Amino acid sequence: MGFWDKLANLDRRWIYLSVAISVIFPMLFVIKFPVEISPEARQLYNAVESLPDSSVVFLTFDYYPSTLAETEPMSIAALNQMFRKNMKVITMTTIPLGGPSIAERVTRMVAEKYNKVYGVDYVNLGYKANYVAVLKGMGSSIESIYPSDNRGTPLKDLPLMNKVKNYNDIKFIYVVADNAIVDYWISIVNAQYKTPVGAGMTAVMAPKMYPFVQAGQLTGLLGGMKGAAEYEELVGVKGTAIRGMDAQSLVHLLIIGFVILGNISYFVTRKKTGPGVMK
Amino acid sequence: MRTTLPVIIAFISGLIMVVSFFLNPQTTFLGNTEEEVLQWASIIGGFTLLLGVVSIVRVNSKTVGQRKKGWLFNLATLISIFAMAIPSILPVTSQSNFGSIFYKVFPESWGSLFGTAPGSIYDWLFNYLDSPMMATMFAMLAFYIASAAYRAFRARNAEATLLLLTAVLVMLWRIPMGEAFLRLFGDNIPGYINTYIMNGANAAVQRGIVIGAALGAASMSLRIMLGIERTYMGKG
Repeated sequence: MGFWDKLANLDRRWIYLSVAISVIFPMLFVIKFPVEISPEARQLYNAVESLPDSSVVFLTFDYYPSTLAETEPMSIAALNQMFRKNMKVITMTTIPLGGPSIAERVTRMVAEKYNKVYGVDYVNLGYKANYVAVLKGMGSSIESIYPSDNRGTPLKDLPLMNKVKNYNDIKFIYVVADNAIVDYWISIVNAQYKTPVGAGMTAVMAPKMYPFVQAGQLTGLLGGMKGAAEYEELVGVKGTAIRGMDAQSLVHLLIIGFVILGNISYFVTRKKTGPGVMK
Repeated sequence: MRTTLPVIIAFISGLIMVVSFFLNPQTTFLGNTEEEVLQWASIIGGFTLLLGVVSIVRVNSKTVGQRKKGWLFNLATLISIFAMAIPSILPVTSQSNFGSIFYKVFPESWGSLFGTAPGSIYDWLFNYLDSPMMATMFAMLAFYIASAAYRAFRARNAEATLLLLTAVLVMLWRIPMGEAFLRLFGDNIPGYINTYIMNGANAAVQRGIVIGAALGAASMSLRIMLGIERTYMGKG
């Protein structure tokens, strides 16, 4: 068996080992490349930045723990920007598995940094089933859908919620999601109630949202860990997404390298054996 | 009657939602009814979650009871469900009716362990077991994608080659090192990828898919409202 044949039948464990090294290496040795800001990320940042101080905004935690590496840095950077501008933040989730806990943990962590008080500066509404009904229902009355917050406190006992009845009182909705829920935020909330919506999404979901950005139905978009890193750069928070860029860069380059190598071995061995023989 | 009644309910509910879209919810009867219907939908959604839990418990209990192959995994599922659920629904204080009874038996200092607040059993299990396990499962994809890309991503024909080249360009564009590399060939290359691939070809295709799916959803909704589509009732 020649070199190219061996390469064509490379044991997958070597590939796994290479991926592991590509992820671990940047943890030990930092290789920092500048993160360039995409127009969509800048648009989202500017949309939040241009809101008057003390505006009431929605921040959603529509993601599962499995995608925390991509989505959580977006939430943290967004909260930093919002609290720095003294905005009043209402958080919620359409994800039953862990959504309320992630929202509670992340919001509390950033709120402590800015000495924000629960109930006055921020509120976590938590989770309610049937997201279409929840999104539509909050257009009439948030309290009719969420009679109490995630901690069981009636909304009427929270000073922030006394000022907020429905979407008319919300200046911006910042959706961080790893699923198609953004479609509903656009088609139900933005289209019907005209509240501006911006989104941070996993890299695999983000391409679907470009038409909505072009149509102006989505005010800015972050895609994956790169998008999160761009937002951290914009906000000035040195978080996990910027640190993760090195590992992501190396793994992407490794995969590109494997694709090129795989194709070279494909063409070399095909010449020897004829087309269609190699799998 | 078993078929007619659900069709009537579906028709009336759908009609309320469609018509009320054009009405003010605060001032009109139909608008108010829409609010009621949405609250009902949310409550029914809660019950469907409960139904899911009951179904999981039933299926797994049966497998454990019959000691079928892999029954230990089913047992682990059952233990996990109850370990997460029970501490999260137990009362945090003695102020509720159930709490007053519960804390006559157990010390009130245990209250911080229950509910979903930070420091509770649920919170601990979620942050230190559930969350890392889910993240690990997702992270494994990187290994499989690398292996699959090496074996399957071949320039076999013109279409595959086009796909391959686009994928490589987008992958480079999505990383700082790749952007720096692309700039070696021209300062505007990363911008061109954003303009022509993501906001050009990608957006055009995605738009087609979204419009197609929306038309499909609208026609399916009409079929359900008019009773033509009855598979949701278990009928063909």
